[in-house]
Amino acid sequence: MIEGPMPKNEGAWQPWPFSAQAVSAAAAALLLVAPVSEARAQEPIKIGVLLPLSGNFAVPGQQTLAGLKMYFDEVGNKAGGIPLEILVEDTQTKPDVAVAKARKLVERDGAQVLTGVVGSGESFAINDYSRQNKVPLVISGDAGQDELTLPGPIANPYLVRVTMSGRTATAAAADWAYKKGWRKAAMIGTDYAGGVDTNFEFARAFCRLGGKVIQAQWPAFGTADFGPYLPAVDRSADALFVFEPGADGLRFLRQYVDFGLQGKMPVFDIWGTIVFEPNLTQTGDAALGMYSSEFYTPLLKTPENERFVAEFRKRMNGELPEHEAPNGYVGAHAIVDAIAAVKGDFSDKTKFMAALKAVHFPSPKGEIKLDKYGMAIQSMFIREVQKVDGSLGNVPIATYRDVDQFWPFTEAEYESYQLDYTHGKDAVTDCSKLLAKK
Amino acid sequence: MIWLIHILNGVAYGMLLFLLAAGLSLIYGLMKILNLTHGSFYLVGGYLGLTVVRATGSFALGLVVAALAVALVGAAIERFFLRRFHLEELPQALLTFGFLFIFADLSLWVWGGDAQMLAVPGPFARSLSVGSFAYPVYRLFLIAVGLAIATLLWWFQEHTRLGTMLRAGVDDAEIARGLGINVSFLFTLVFALGAALAALGGVLAGPVLSLYPGADLDTLILAFVVVIVGGLGSLRGALAGSLLVGILDDFGKAFFPKFALFTVFVPMAVILVARPSGLFGRR
Repeated sequence: MIEGPMPKNEGAWQPWPFSAQAVSAAAAALLLVAPVSEARAQEPIKIGVLLPLSGNFAVPGQQTLAGLKMYFDEVGNKAGGIPLEILVEDTQTKPDVAVAKARKLVERDGAQVLTGVVGSGESFAINDYSRQNKVPLVISGDAGQDELTLPGPIANPYLVRVTMSGRTATAAAADWAYKKGWRKAAMIGTDYAGGVDTNFEFARAFCRLGGKVIQAQWPAFGTADFGPYLPAVDRSADALFVFEPGADGLRFLRQYVDFGLQGKMPVFDIWGTIVFEPNLTQTGDAALGMYSSEFYTPLLKTPENERFVAEFRKRMNGELPEHEAPNGYVGAHAIVDAIAAVKGDFSDKTKFMAALKAVHFPSPKGEIKLDKYGMAIQSMFIREVQKVDGSLGNVPIATYRDVDQFWPFTEAEYESYQLDYTHGKDAVTDCSKLLAKK
Repeated sequence: MIWLIHILNGVAYGMLLFLLAAGLSLIYGLMKILNLTHGSFYLVGGYLGLTVVRATGSFALGLVVAALAVALVGAAIERFFLRRFHLEELPQALLTFGFLFIFADLSLWVWGGDAQMLAVPGPFARSLSVGSFAYPVYRLFLIAVGLAIATLLWWFQEHTRLGTMLRAGVDDAEIARGLGINVSFLFTLVFALGAALAALGGVLAGPVLSLYPGADLDTLILAFVVVIVGGLGSLRGALAGSLLVGILDDFGKAFFPKFALFTVFVPMAVILVARPSGLFGRR
């Protein structure tokens, strides 16, 4: 007599305490899980690159891209053994296009990190997108707006910037200018966020040392004809300080000679956008003798830089790199180091951002580390355009080391000033307003 | 002394604008076609000139090659595309606008995205001393060239048989054909001439404005401002409009920098309100 429920045949012969159904379910689950984790290891991490490759900022965009590609190629497009896929999109120097492309890269193409970003306009737009959607953003392009890496309403914990902040070159320029004995400055700056920021900060730093800006002109973005501005420059100034980016800088260079200003007074190109290497080859000797302040010059004599320049020239038909290229290179380096540090795990974004902020390495533009706001701490060089081996080049003539975004002020002193550039454009010739404290 | 510089600069810029606008005005005035490809003719002409100058060192050759090549392209566009929409303004405008985009992409592909500066031709690469200032001789050359071209165009329109036939063909094509005038050929010729003028403008403006992607649209807008101020279809209007806009732009930027972006458009707005057909407009 058999009592109780009859065990099924399969159940009776089971070696495990689980039913066949459970076993087959478990087996199926194992089969599904195993290939997926293998696939995840092979699945490349996508890095979205947003750069202007056409429009007014096409040249800086192309140079940044070249630097980025160089580093990624050097490490075999891998970070800590994990393959990387680099996706590039052209922002066309337009903020609305930049955001649309950012959306495409992250939401449609699956990019985990965004990098690039040149124009100030697009930088704010992409910063907003990164902050709202928690997408790590490594600014490796020229976007130098100070507030991107300062505490404030648009501060973004998902952002680091390895390139520059608008102030640092202006602070170096003001310091060097004052030491040179210049006390009165005439200024020309493009009338847009980047230009106003740069020239405002220069005016303030210069005032703090004891100098003064006696004239400020603001040609519109995209000015083709500097005829209204150049003859009007105040000749009693000790020097002319200029900030003209992109194609405007090229035209400025030609017209500055045309209107007879060459040799009449020293010209200091803050940020070196006019004595940009690609411009130097198109305008003969127009730039000879111009000073500039920058965190790089291709003529830097360090082993990292000489290796970098040699490789760059091989790839770009003998062209010399200017600062965008090492910026792209450094940006890629930071991304790779951070991905390797977290072993490709993007599930905890805060850990990834901490890894990014902890990067520290030598580079073609000198030693790179980041401050607590994600902003680079690097060197600043004063350069002069001289003839080197028959062609014009930016020769370094002075160096400032470990320049952080507040130099020469402390963070507290910097934040104690009442005016910032957004309301300070008209105050640049008035030292008392520039130095007024809150 | 600085006033003299400002006036000179305004006139020079005005002459540059005239070179840009003359082709547009001519084509509209004689053929009633709104040629939006005008911007491309300017840019491609400029780029072609740049290539020729870089290859041969001759600015003059660059001018000739650019004008001829772009004239041929213009002739082809008129003959094979625009003719199908004779006197239909909107389809013609759309067609020429489409060509604008095509040429923009082609130029980006061939010449790249960097701004390129044409070298100033040798004899003009110096500056004249004007008191403690200097003024580039090349801009004075532009004033001279602009005036020369204006004179040639006027003479062509008013005092040659060809010009008379053209005006007849526009006034009444059927009767003109009845008189044995080959109106179709004349239309192609005029379109080609307008295109050539735009190309010349591109090469001549190259050393001053530089050539870059987007210059086609920038130029088109400027040309339209001039033509609206001066009056569509009038050569005198194009000259007057360009000088007015050039001078107002220079003085505006120098003395009212806050309105720098508006200096070119304020005259246009005023004209549209006060005298919509332009200073010397026909209809």
